[in-house]
Amino acid sequence: MSTSTSTQPAAGPGRAAARNAANPGPGPSFFRVLNSEFIKFRTLLSTMILLASTAVVMVGFGALSAWGTGQFADQAASDPGAAEAIASQGGDLAVSVPTSGAAFAQLILGSLGVLLMSSEFTTGMARSTFAAVPKRLPAFIAKLVVVVVSAFVVTAVSTYVAGLVSVPILDNFGLKLDLASSQSVKLLLVTGGYVAAVAAIGMALGTLLRNSAGGIMALVGLFFVAPIAFQLIPGEFFEEARKYLPGNTITPLTAVEHVPDTLEVWQAALVLGAWVVVPVVLAMILLKKRDV
Amino acid sequence: MIEAEGLTKVYGDKTAVGGVSFTVQAGQVTGFLGPNGAGKSTTMRMIMGLDTPTAGTVTVNGVPFARHAAPLREIGALLDAKAVHTSRSAYNHLLAMAATHSIPRKRVHEVIDMTGLAEVARKKVKGFSLGMGQRLGIAAALLGDPQTIILDEPVNGLDPEGVVWVRNLVKYLASEGRTVFLSSHLMSEMALTADHLIVIGRGKIIADAPIKDIITGKGHSRTRVRSDQPDRLMHVLAGTGVSVELQDHELLEVTGLDPRQIARSALDNQVLIYELTPLQASLEEAYMELTKDEVEYHSLITTGAPVSAQSGGN
Repeated sequence: MSTSTSTQPAAGPGRAAARNAANPGPGPSFFRVLNSEFIKFRTLLSTMILLASTAVVMVGFGALSAWGTGQFADQAASDPGAAEAIASQGGDLAVSVPTSGAAFAQLILGSLGVLLMSSEFTTGMARSTFAAVPKRLPAFIAKLVVVVVSAFVVTAVSTYVAGLVSVPILDNFGLKLDLASSQSVKLLLVTGGYVAAVAAIGMALGTLLRNSAGGIMALVGLFFVAPIAFQLIPGEFFEEARKYLPGNTITPLTAVEHVPDTLEVWQAALVLGAWVVVPVVLAMILLKKRDV
Repeated sequence: MIEAEGLTKVYGDKTAVGGVSFTVQAGQVTGFLGPNGAGKSTTMRMIMGLDTPTAGTVTVNGVPFARHAAPLREIGALLDAKAVHTSRSAYNHLLAMAATHSIPRKRVHEVIDMTGLAEVARKKVKGFSLGMGQRLGIAAALLGDPQTIILDEPVNGLDPEGVVWVRNLVKYLASEGRTVFLSSHLMSEMALTADHLIVIGRGKIIADAPIKDIITGKGHSRTRVRSDQPDRLMHVLAGTGVSVELQDHELLEVTGLDPRQIARSALDNQVLIYELTPLQASLEEAYMELTKDEVEYHSLITTGAPVSAQSGGN
């Protein structure tokens, strides 16, 4: 290594002695910690890759779904069965096209939530982080804010761009998509909020398990395996319990009218809220208590 | 100043640190010496509030670490060269650390230049050698221009130039009136760097004294004595502060008396001595002597070092 080293530290002589012992300087206020967490967030290439892939997947699926929906509508013109299917959907197939990639956004950004915290522990960064912020919870909350806001923004923006791409494709098939309609706006905001909630659950899992693979597997288990397993296991209990899984709250939250066999909107909102609050609070309690 | 009072850390049924009390004074370099697994890192993590003590307290300048209003400006620590997300560049790591305390960008550049990382600061930490990782850890420790500096094994993996640099740096920081506490498992390194030494073994403080006292091995001068009447000589020499060990047929090792006192006693009692060799304890030996019963992991293969000859004792 050919690095040159100066023996003389930049702190001038007597600087230490001259410092005011009572007031050493600014400490870790919440906004400073938030700024630090944002710097940590944007300076990791892997984070940027995951955000970009979310956008690509959502816009790509939006376009693909627009094409597929158009094909289906074309068919409906000559097929009474398909026409009936469209009618039963309230006649508007196009409105949900921009959010058709949301399931993948939820998987990618949920994993990002896990990784941002688990990597602190797997790399040893946590020791630096919590030495700078020994109260620990400000750092956790700051990271949670960064994770939740970025997941919401990326999902919402990707949904909008997917919409912009879909409009001309749908237009080719004579289908109309109004991105400013109240249902379009609702879908965009609710899907963004839902993905942000999944990212928060992911971050809580990353904090609790402190392991990237374990955290992601737990997340996949909860959102992708449990709904299918609950469906396959016979019995009324599992049929009922299935509605309360976090992944099954999105349907009632985004539907125009109540969908049978799902929760009411207010119930779904409460259940999803509980799925976020319980692991997050548990993660905060244990983060405060456990050794780093 | 760092003050530990009955500091204890128990993991399950294993006591990593067993009720240690010590004080690290400002204005001097205090070495924390002990074999691997002795509890050095655990103690340092407890000082930094990362591990919660099972019992006891530790304060930095009179206040537990976590209660300081601006921790990084009070205490800077290198606890582990790999306390960094390795996919981030050194510069961005320091920038993120600095942001928590509104430490200006200028200071980030200062510590990078000080630690000789300027050329690699924009590169991912993943590609760093252990030595470069240590330099980054030291840069992070100095970021807040802290009054107290804690360095866990700072010279591990450094090239000879880096070792000398750390040595000069910590002496300079102490000369400015700062509290400097650094750990090592190498006695020879401590002898060149520290003014005061705290020796730990198996979670207990074995010695806490100025380095000079430990090097001269006060109360630990040993002499090899051969006599044709070893039993009688043992009886004659026995006294407080004196230990005599029969090592072989007609071979004794005496601790706590100098050769002249041994010869005098032998003459007074008409015991023939045919060898009288003062054993000059090297620093390494003095350390081994201090910690020989406190090492957690003993090697099964002894290499014929002077220490192995007496391992049958006690």
